[in-house]
Amino acid sequence: MPQTIAEKILSRVTGRPVRPGEIIYPEPDLVTTHDWYVVNFDAALRKLGVERLYAPEKVLISTDHEPVALSRQAAERQRAVREIVSRYGIAHFYDVGRGGHGHIFPMERGLIAPGMLVLAYDPHVTNYGAVGCLGIALVIEISEVLACGSAWIRVPQTVRIDLHGELQRGVTVRDAAQRMIAELDPDLVDYTVVEFGGPALAHIDIDRRMTFCNTPVEIGAKSVVFETDERTESWLRPRLGERFRHIRSDEGAHYKAAIDYSLALAEPQVAAPPTPDNVLGVSAVAGTKIDYAFIGSCANSSLADLRDAAEVLRGHRVQEGVRLIVTPGTQQIAAEAAAEGLIGVFIDAGATLTAPGCGPCAGGRIGPLAPGEVSINTGTRNDPGRLGARDADIYLASPFTVAASAITGRITDPREILQ
Amino acid sequence: MRLTYRGRCWKFGDNVGVDGDMMPLDFALQRETRLEVLAPHAMTGLDPDFPKKVKAGDIVVAGKRFAQGNPHIQGLLGLVAHRVGLVCESIPRGSLRNAVNAGLPLLPSCPGISSIVQTGDQLEVDFESGDLRNVTQDWIRVFEPLPRALLDIIVRGGWEAAVEARVAMMKSRRGYTS
Repeated sequence: MPQTIAEKILSRVTGRPVRPGEIIYPEPDLVTTHDWYVVNFDAALRKLGVERLYAPEKVLISTDHEPVALSRQAAERQRAVREIVSRYGIAHFYDVGRGGHGHIFPMERGLIAPGMLVLAYDPHVTNYGAVGCLGIALVIEISEVLACGSAWIRVPQTVRIDLHGELQRGVTVRDAAQRMIAELDPDLVDYTVVEFGGPALAHIDIDRRMTFCNTPVEIGAKSVVFETDERTESWLRPRLGERFRHIRSDEGAHYKAAIDYSLALAEPQVAAPPTPDNVLGVSAVAGTKIDYAFIGSCANSSLADLRDAAEVLRGHRVQEGVRLIVTPGTQQIAAEAAAEGLIGVFIDAGATLTAPGCGPCAGGRIGPLAPGEVSINTGTRNDPGRLGARDADIYLASPFTVAASAITGRITDPREILQ
Repeated sequence: MRLTYRGRCWKFGDNVGVDGDMMPLDFALQRETRLEVLAPHAMTGLDPDFPKKVKAGDIVVAGKRFAQGNPHIQGLLGLVAHRVGLVCESIPRGSLRNAVNAGLPLLPSCPGISSIVQTGDQLEVDFESGDLRNVTQDWIRVFEPLPRALLDIIVRGGWEAAVEARVAMMKSRRGYTS
């Protein structure tokens, strides 16, 4: 029977063909969690009387939500995390200064391959779909996976989206991705895997695919995955060598829906408060005064994103009274950005840099908003309180639009600054 | 053990919110999971007297997207605290997962159910077979029950109890020393 990418992956790990709707207990190829949750899963395991993990060689922990501890309490928690990692013999531990964002660096380092299944605690593990890997988030059940090797999931249906057309000047994948979730029916996407293909893939590099994989989660997608192509292969070959395999859906695979989506948007898009799918053309909110801008998060902290931001900021200064925070996704991205001179552009513009990782997007513990302030940023969500104060407005946009707005102090169409 | 509930029908509409309608949000933010603490607040956003009126074995019947919103488990634990069952037209995936993990017996996909039952009807629901009998109106409908693997978790009393049993089984099989 023809299968989608998700069905192929879940069938492989289950050891037999599986169909949508079935309840299965799949054993993943990798389990990921992040700094803040480690103490919680340890407590859950202790309560269960579990002293060793089912497969510690398949567990990856990254210190990315609060890489540089911001309080004594956080420093103590980091120490506890190091002890827990050592006690369970967890094989892949990337402490502060080692990896960066756990939804990005494992791809850079060849830890993620097409066709893998990753189970995780954090919803944006779907980023791995950029290279054809199925990342699925569980919540408390991740401690069951750590203890027993698996937890139940219902095999999801797949919604296929074929991307067409070309992005216009000043419009990025972030604009297209947030426009798309505003237009898709949440009832259609709920508990499905969104699978991307289509002729436009030839123009979308791996960095940009991560952005596309990040966004549909906000309207209930279980996971997001790109079929592999020549771009995937040329990006992964140096990292995986002979381990590289293509993964695509079979001809005749069953989709819950098949949709064509055009990237040819007329203007950049901004998600206004209070939800990521409350998306408007930038002209509808242009002129709104801002206090705070941020470029980073697992949605938009790749080298491609930093290049976009620098392209707008080069030769400009951030508006007086506005703070701009830039968080490169990983150590490697930070190094490459420095080598290309992008970091110098940010510093010259009056931006401030934070350690690679989630940056302020992880709940605003780093660089929060004060009550009444307005932010425009490239984070994943804009719920009230996402960046600290609940009565602060958060707009989400592309690195172009955020950088342009930081320069003028008002939400700005980046095409006014880009030459 | 048969998962059959007999009791009074309490009907709610579409889009019942897990935060606010089913349980004050504060309990979710505090990660409160003690049933005795949550019980007096169950469904009070829609019916302030619900915790006083409801009895063990009663059935909550709801429309589409029951328990919608951020997937917090507290609203579902509130129903478990009163030992009521749930029959709804649809439920978002996060709340389905939480319902199973909370040990709440449910029929998650019963199209049209809220237009054919009334609050106060006597219902008898077999959550394992999917048989729903309306004693008051004298009819029986059959709906799709949950898959066996999920019923097993509910019969155990929810995720925590099911995992405890799974860990105990693994330890005995492996000769686990602790």
